Amino acid sequence: MKNIKRILSLVLALCLVLVLFAGCGENTSGDKETAKGKVYFLNFKPEQSQQWEDIASRYSESTGVDVTVVTAASDTYESTLKSEIAKTEAPTLFQVNGPVGLASWKDYCYDLSNTSLYKNLASDDFVLKGDNGEALAIAYVIETYGLIYNKSLLNDYINTEGALITSANEINNFETLKAVAEDIQSKKDTLGIKGAFTSAGMDSSSDWRFKTHLANLPVYYEYKDENITSTDKIKGTYLENYKNIWDLYINNSTTEPSLLSSKTGSDASSEFALKEAVFYQNGTWAYDDIKGYEVSDDDLGMLPIYIGADGEEKQGLCTGSENYWCVNKNAKQADIDATLAFLDWLITSDEGKKALSEELKFVTPFTTFTEEFTVDNPLVKAANDYIKQDKIPVAWTFTTMPSEEWKNGVGSALLEYAQGTGDWSGVQTAFVDGWEREYKAVNSK
Amino acid sequence: MNEKKGKKGLLLTIIFSIISVIYIAPIIIILYNSFKKKAYIAKSPFSLPNEQTFSGFENYTSGINKTSFLSSFGYSLFITVGSVFLILLCTSMCAWYITRSKSKFSKCLYFLFVFSMIVPFQMVMFTLSKTADFLKLTNPVGIIIVYLGFGAGLAVFMFSGFVKAVPLEIEEAALIDGCSPLQTFFMIVLPILKPTAISVGILETMWIWNDYLLPYLVLNIKKYKTIPIAIQYLKGGYGSIDIGAMMAMLVLAIIPIIVFYISLQKYIIKGVAAGAVKG
Amino acid sequence: MNRTIKKYSPIFVLPTLLAFIIGFIVPFILGIYLSFCKFTTVTDAKFTGISNYQKVFSDDSFIHALWFTALFTVAAVVTINVIAFTIAYLLTKGFKGTNLFRTVFFMPNLIGGIVLGYIWQLIFNGILLYFAKTLTFSATYGFFGLLILMNWQQVGYMMIIYIAGIQNISPSVMEAAKIDGASRSQILRKVIIPMVMPSVTISVFLTLTNSFKLFDQNLALTAGEPSKMTEMLALNIFNTFYGRTGFEGVGQAKAVIFFVLVAVIALLQLYYTRKREVQA
Repeated sequence: MKNIKRILSLVLALCLVLVLFAGCGENTSGDKETAKGKVYFLNFKPEQSQQWEDIASRYSESTGVDVTVVTAASDTYESTLKSEIAKTEAPTLFQVNGPVGLASWKDYCYDLSNTSLYKNLASDDFVLKGDNGEALAIAYVIETYGLIYNKSLLNDYINTEGALITSANEINNFETLKAVAEDIQSKKDTLGIKGAFTSAGMDSSSDWRFKTHLANLPVYYEYKDENITSTDKIKGTYLENYKNIWDLYINNSTTEPSLLSSKTGSDASSEFALKEAVFYQNGTWAYDDIKGYEVSDDDLGMLPIYIGADGEEKQGLCTGSENYWCVNKNAKQADIDATLAFLDWLITSDEGKKALSEELKFVTPFTTFTEEFTVDNPLVKAANDYIKQDKIPVAWTFTTMPSEEWKNGVGSALLEYAQGTGDWSGVQTAFVDGWEREYKAVNSK
Repeated sequence: MNEKKGKKGLLLTIIFSIISVIYIAPIIIILYNSFKKKAYIAKSPFSLPNEQTFSGFENYTSGINKTSFLSSFGYSLFITVGSVFLILLCTSMCAWYITRSKSKFSKCLYFLFVFSMIVPFQMVMFTLSKTADFLKLTNPVGIIIVYLGFGAGLAVFMFSGFVKAVPLEIEEAALIDGCSPLQTFFMIVLPILKPTAISVGILETMWIWNDYLLPYLVLNIKKYKTIPIAIQYLKGGYGSIDIGAMMAMLVLAIIPIIVFYISLQKYIIKGVAAGAVKG
Repeated sequence: MNRTIKKYSPIFVLPTLLAFIIGFIVPFILGIYLSFCKFTTVTDAKFTGISNYQKVFSDDSFIHALWFTALFTVAAVVTINVIAFTIAYLLTKGFKGTNLFRTVFFMPNLIGGIVLGYIWQLIFNGILLYFAKTLTFSATYGFFGLLILMNWQQVGYMMIIYIAGIQNISPSVMEAAKIDGASRSQILRKVIIPMVMPSVTISVFLTLTNSFKLFDQNLALTAGEPSKMTEMLALNIFNTFYGRTGFEGVGQAKAVIFFVLVAVIALLQLYYTRKREVQA
């Protein structure tokens, strides 16, 4: 008898605890909700998760508004957003990557026309609009990518016997780039490096450098020829050029092509940072990974990615944005207000502006960012030099690529080609046929 | 004859010793790699750390900080212990009741429980996480109820199998002596079910402790990460894969399992064998 | 008896039943319903008939995953059971250290799929480095990688089941066989194997369903790379559902098909077992 009583009382006590536990959890969160709105930001950039969390906690401390930042792991933003937005405590602030991203989330976007975010924009180019002209998504960071190179290593090369160029400026088309890169590769032992290019890592966490960013160029030139800004069918006019630049990357690199499938972006950045390679295709955001190692800031330069298109001597770097803020219109009004206040703080208050420009090193499209809030990043300086030279920046057309699925298809085919398990026709199929199929699949709603 | 057997036995002992060493080698390799600087891990995973590559506990401290491993460990432990306890308690009662009361309702219920055993999680992953969210079960306490629901099938099935083997006479005698059904259950039936409870408990513990997808979809990711989620998040959740921290976290994930296993080894192996023979 | 305990039904059944409704019945029925809908969340579901199912079968990646999974399952069931039985058979011969070996072989079974995947990723990539290759170089590597991983994890568990089966054989049967002059291989084939048939059934069933439903290990080891060539069914469903906007319904339809496949396999197994039990 004693035993039963003991067990029973234990069970009862446990149930009670459970109920209390659950009840308390609900109550405390419930109370806060009604008093003040909450901000829940689903962050896209994993490399900056720490900075965002710091900024959020500082804002929470000074204002008392609860700001939660959750970062999706690389390559999982869409899936995380999808599972999160279906919850009762959905993100109040999320992001889309461009027109294609907006198409699937536009039903969740709050009209930002009457917000300081919209009013302080330098130009309407940085807004994604809905069918009735409402401002659904606003870019918050402008980025530039190209071929980052190590000036001192390139100088070492120029000083070798029989160097093909006398200054980096002479590299202004694909032919020269190819000749120089191949020459560097053949002299890699005298130069004390492992290859002309860093490894083209195709691990699924890092293959966006090629399936998205590099693929931008053939798409850009085709759009330019056809005079369009998006399409349901791509012809692949510049696929041969895509192949040439890809061949150049994989055959003149630190790493054998057969190892690429598990190489990551951080492998490439450490190769560059440790002076093992001269060229590294990436963007202004890569500075954080490079600084503090062996390459000094003065040695950082950036070249346009030449693929052998006509008139590319005038081509500049690739500049654009794939980071657009959206506010979830299905959130509670209090939460929406809190989110808008948070965004306003970020772009108008000195503290917020400092956070964006100094901690996150964002070049923003907002007019509130005056001189003193410019970003201390040598790669950004290099990018600005090109604009001063009147080169034509390459727009980010990859925001019009039909779907993530398309990018993945191209990425896999690129990898198979690189390691010799597939041929180039695989890339062609994924690029051209894949585009049409995915465009249909996504737009057949 | 005996000598021959002895020689053969020795040979088998030697062969199996070698196989055993190979068998645990992966764990040993992970262990010593966790003490190497991250740049050297992928380049030469099989070489032991030396002066140049040794990193001390750096991978552990950075990994623990990055993933807030200690809180993940706490959540994993709480969820596993809570769920297993609740599953054992509720399903043993339920199994006893539906086996003893031979109504149509009970039979129907039993069939449903057995049916649920063969339904793969992917079938309900979205709708289950939606339901849990709707009922605000997205915290470590709530998920215990989800585990009770989704894990009930196997437990009820196994308990029922054993209840059938418990002689009715004892229970009837207890009831006639004036015990209520509750008393009968806890005093008479539960002690007899103890071996089954151990089998069920071990199976459910192994499942829940290691489960990735269910807590990943159900729990509120803003606040709670279990160990498997924290480890998976290390890949790509911080911009780049910190393979050093990954090794350290793998080791930390394995240690509790090994401790659990070594301290309860006898029960675990017996439980598995018993569960299999009856199940 | 019946009447007295009926009064207590709420206490005995209700907690489990409620949780079961939340954790299984409602999600299951909703899941079936949603497989006929176009939706992004439950509330905006629109009934579209069988179009999701039509899309499933025009999806090459699903068909590939189906074959890959089937092939993997067959390979895993055969290798795991053969190896586990061999080890169990040898370990029941009674030599020094059997208990220790049993302990060692069982241990990996307790380690979770995600952790296992990353452990083996390091090992495989380390070995393949000598050949200047990586695990995701081709699907063949991924296939055998998964197979080795699954063997490592599951052999110990199945070994325990087989040991229990072998130890259940009454010594008198063995004695009788020996007295009749049966050779050791005859005893193995004519006595031991038929007597452990129940263990075989259980082990085959467990390895079959475990391999067929494999998810965590697949995700951590290769995540389907290269080109989704090592993507198994469960992962394919997850990726379709969460990875592609507009394909939620298709993902749910795939899940229903997956469920039917698992159910058919389980029923066939049950039927087979029943038949055997009748014969024996």
